[in-house]
Order: sequence, then C-alpha cells, then structure tokens
Amino acid sequence: MTSGGLEAGAQRIPGVTVKKIEKEVYEIFIGPQHPGSGHMRIIVRLDGDIIVEADPDIGYVHRTMEKLSEVREWLKPIPLLERMTIIDACNVTLPYVNALEKLMDKTPSTRASYLRVLLCEINRVASHLYGMGIFGVFIGHSTMYMWAFGDREVFVELAEVLTGARLTHTYPIPGGVRRDMPQDLPEMARRTVRYMRGRLEEYRKIFVDNPVIVKRLAGVGVISKSRAIELGVVGPNLRASGVKYDVRIAEPYEVYGELDFEIPVFEEGDALARTWVRVEEIKQSLNIIEQAVNWLETHKGEPVIAKEDFDKLPKLHKEVYEKEGRVKLVPAHATMKIPAGKAVARGEMGRGEIFYYVESDGGTTPYRVRVVTPSARNAIVFKHIVPGHTLMDLPAIYGSIDYFPPESDR
Amino acid sequence: MPPKVSLKKLARKGGLFDGVKSNIHALAIGVKYLVDPQRSTLLYPKEYIEHRPGYRGFIVFVKEKCISCAACSRICPSAAMKMVRVTEIDPKHPDKPRQKQYPVINYQRCIFCGFCVDVCPTEALYHVPFHDIVYENLADMFMTLEQFQVEPQRPAVSEGLPVVYEVDEGKGLVKRRRG
Repeated sequence: MTSGGLEAGAQRIPGVTVKKIEKEVYEIFIGPQHPGSGHMRIIVRLDGDIIVEADPDIGYVHRTMEKLSEVREWLKPIPLLERMTIIDACNVTLPYVNALEKLMDKTPSTRASYLRVLLCEINRVASHLYGMGIFGVFIGHSTMYMWAFGDREVFVELAEVLTGARLTHTYPIPGGVRRDMPQDLPEMARRTVRYMRGRLEEYRKIFVDNPVIVKRLAGVGVISKSRAIELGVVGPNLRASGVKYDVRIAEPYEVYGELDFEIPVFEEGDALARTWVRVEEIKQSLNIIEQAVNWLETHKGEPVIAKEDFDKLPKLHKEVYEKEGRVKLVPAHATMKIPAGKAVARGEMGRGEIFYYVESDGGTTPYRVRVVTPSARNAIVFKHIVPGHTLMDLPAIYGSIDYFPPESDR
Repeated sequence: MPPKVSLKKLARKGGLFDGVKSNIHALAIGVKYLVDPQRSTLLYPKEYIEHRPGYRGFIVFVKEKCISCAACSRICPSAAMKMVRVTEIDPKHPDKPRQKQYPVINYQRCIFCGFCVDVCPTEALYHVPFHDIVYENLADMFMTLEQFQVEPQRPAVSEGLPVVYEVDEGKGLVKRRRG
C-alpha cells in the first residue's frame, strides 16, 4: 500500500502506512478482542453487506517456537512444541520425534507405534470435536458447542488414562513412548467408540442435517479443486474440495500403512462439505482406535521403547516398567548428542499436514528446527475465498476451515 | 489391509418433505435431551475428582533416596527445578560436614511433564495424583527443601466428596460417587 493518494503536504510518519479510503467502502476490524476472531484480527472491507476485501492479520500469539527449540536440549522441545496445539498434542510432536529417530537411526518398537497411533487418533477426534464446537457457536448453534465440548471430554479422559495428563501428554520420545497402556484401557476405549458412534448420528440430526445449518453452509466459501491446490490448502479442507491427499496415505508413518481405514473425500468444497469431512474422519478415527486397542491387547510382551534401549536400562528402571508400565528415562537423555545431519518428517494432524525440518550439528541442541503447521497454510483462505460473501458468511467460513491461530503463529 | 481413499457424496436434500423431516428429527433430538439431559458437571469443591495413580500432578521429593545427581534439574524443560547446596552433618562424623545438593521446585514454571520423575535414577521424586492447589501469592510457589518433601493436601478433601468419571456407552462421561 502506498500513500500516493494523499494530498501533497500531508504529514508522513515513519513506519505508518496511510491510505485513502473510498467513500462507499466500510472497514471493520474483527479482533483481536472480538469473541469470534480467535487470537487474530481480520480486517474486512465491506461494500454494503458484501465483503470486497479481507485481510487476515496474524501473529498475535507468535512465541518463537523455532528459535526456542534451538536453545533447548533435544528432548526439551517436545513439551514446548506441544503448546502450538495442545488439543492435538501427540500429532503435533510426533513428526519431530520421527525426525529425531531418523537422525539417530532408531526404530521404535511396533507396540510403541501402535500406542502412538492410538493417541494420535484420540487427539484427532478431540481436535475435530473442538473445531466443530467452535464452529457451532460461531454460527449461533450453541447446542453443538455444548455437545462437542462435552464429548471431547470423553476423549480427553481416555488420553489422560493412557498418558497421565489431560492435554499436554508429552507422550512420544525418540525410540518409543513414555508409558504402556493400563489394563482396562481397551475396554474403556471400546465403550468410548460405541458411545461416539451413537452420538455422531445425533450430531447429524441436530447439526449437519439440520435445515437451518444446511441453509447457512451449503454453497458458502466454495474452494474449487484447482483453487485448493493453487492456494496450498491442507487437511480436511483440501479433502472437502475433492483432492485425494492425506499424509497417512501419501507417506505412511508409524503403522498407518497396516491399518484398515478410509480417507473420506468430498467434492463440493463448501463449508458443509468441510463439516462432513470432519464427521466422516471421526468415524474413521474410531475404527482406528478400535483396531489399535485390539492389536495392543493381543500383542503383549514387547517393551514400548526400542529393544536395544530397553536392554540397557538399569534394574530399578525395569522394575518400575513391570510394575507401573512407566518408562523411566536415563540421565543421558538430558545431555544426549545426536549425529550431525538433516531430517525431514511430516504427519497428518487433525487440521492437516504438519512438516518438520530438523538439522543437527552433532551438539546437544538442534541447530535448526523448522515447523510448517497446517493452520499457517490454511490462513490464506481468508484472503482469497472470503471476498464476495456477505459479512454473515464470515463466521461460517472461519469456523469451517477450523483455523487455529496459536498453531499458525507458532 | 492398507488404508484407501473413499469418495463420498453429499446427500443434497432440497425438497419440502426432506426439510420437514430433518426439522422433526432435530426437534425430536432436542426434546429427548430436554426430558433426559446428559449432565456431567463437577460440583467443585463439594465434589472433587479422584484421579488414577498414574496422573501427573504435584511432585514430592524423598530426600533419603536422593543421590544428588542433578539429572532432574538438567532435564527440566522449563527450568523449574534447581539444585540447592546444603551442608549436612553426619552423626557418625560430626567433625566432617558434607556438601550435598538437593532439588527444589518452582511451581510458577513447572509444566508437569514428569521428565524429572521419570529421569530420577533412584525414584526419589513422585507425583501425587491431583492438581488443584492454590497459592495465595506467587512467592509461595517456590518450594523450599522442607516444603518439597511434604506431600501437599488438596483443599477440596476437607469439604468435598471424591468422585470418579467413567465412560458409559449410552451417556458418555458419568460421574460416580466414591467413599
């Protein structure tokens, strides 16, 4: 933006951009204090009720995650990076751990992989429910908000039983996971799955098939297939536009290649299709949870960390593992050095693809950690898809792309 | 069986009949929960959740087991745990005071990741399975060596009843009284 339109002699303040506003255009700043804006601001220019321009103003919750990772020993960025998306904590840190494993040339045990997948899918359901709850309250459907947050609590409880913490699980570590599952977890998980399946049918009736909601969402915020690819949209938003892409299929990590599940794809590309993708994904995640607990129940005996690491553990550590299922770390974890090299890893979070680039110079801290989060890629939708809609469609589009500012800003 | 992509179609319902039917469905669900609501609110502090033993809550230090290796303070990701130097007098050799170091914790910084508990080679640290302790001022959140060894008490225990949440197939999270 230039200040070319200003009258000659107008005072110019360094660092401040001044521009002339056209008379018919009304400018609204939604956020960052607005209850419906999240930790961001959307600058919307309106002609009457029609949005002519929308500018996402992001960065309000930038916490220098990448730089902070460089001054922490290898294990310590795990609890830090979780805080980008605490509702999706295992999915967001798993690729970082995978990258470390590539650098260390370490393979996790199969049992650990299944436990990781189990927690990832619990997180994915919780993340989708969170997104749908926020979406519901955005478009004035407060029942959906209450229900989704109430049902998310069931999955949070499940994750707590598995890991010992509600949200910031800090579960995967290089070579494995930190805990084995408790004895009664499979039965609890099966009950949860059966409960959620029944609930999804009720969600369909009261929310996604509700004529009021369908009228608000159908045909709103349409991202065509070519447009979605061009903008680089990821995750459920991409799959709602008819692109068959999911990291779990494109580049299977952990044990996703061995599990039986579907990647739901819709072609409409509107807000309603994006909501349906999430509902269908929850169904598939429930299938995966079931398969994972069935496998874990029938394949006991293998430790949840790499065999070579487990054999080296002192006697007390093995006793604690036998008694409590808790993997004790060794003091060397605090100061471990990782061979010099570069590694990339990616994974499919609830909101889309997350990418990590980790570089080591052979020291005790990472030389560089680069994170590209799904929300950072989805933010562009505001700029390119919102114009042309009425102002009342903005919450519908915002909610349906499930944009999460803390994840985007890092 | 490997995962596969499945292309799905949105069922576009445009007719008047579909609209009426969907409306009735939505209303019927509303009435169902009006008659038989799902409630799982915790009436804190009249009730408090009794977590499982594996829950990562506040941390307690057992001085007798500590070997002063400082692994806990080195692995702490938020620098909440620090070592303090203490001069100890062994009753057997009162003329030779020993320099020892023990961990103390700052709960302003602690994120309850449990790395310190897991890294301790002698199990000198353990979690208590609760989280709901309030301090009147920030300075109280710095534990001294003596405070760190005392197991904290939950304020809700004195006036509330313990409950546990269980997953029920029909009702989701169900609160059950215990004790």
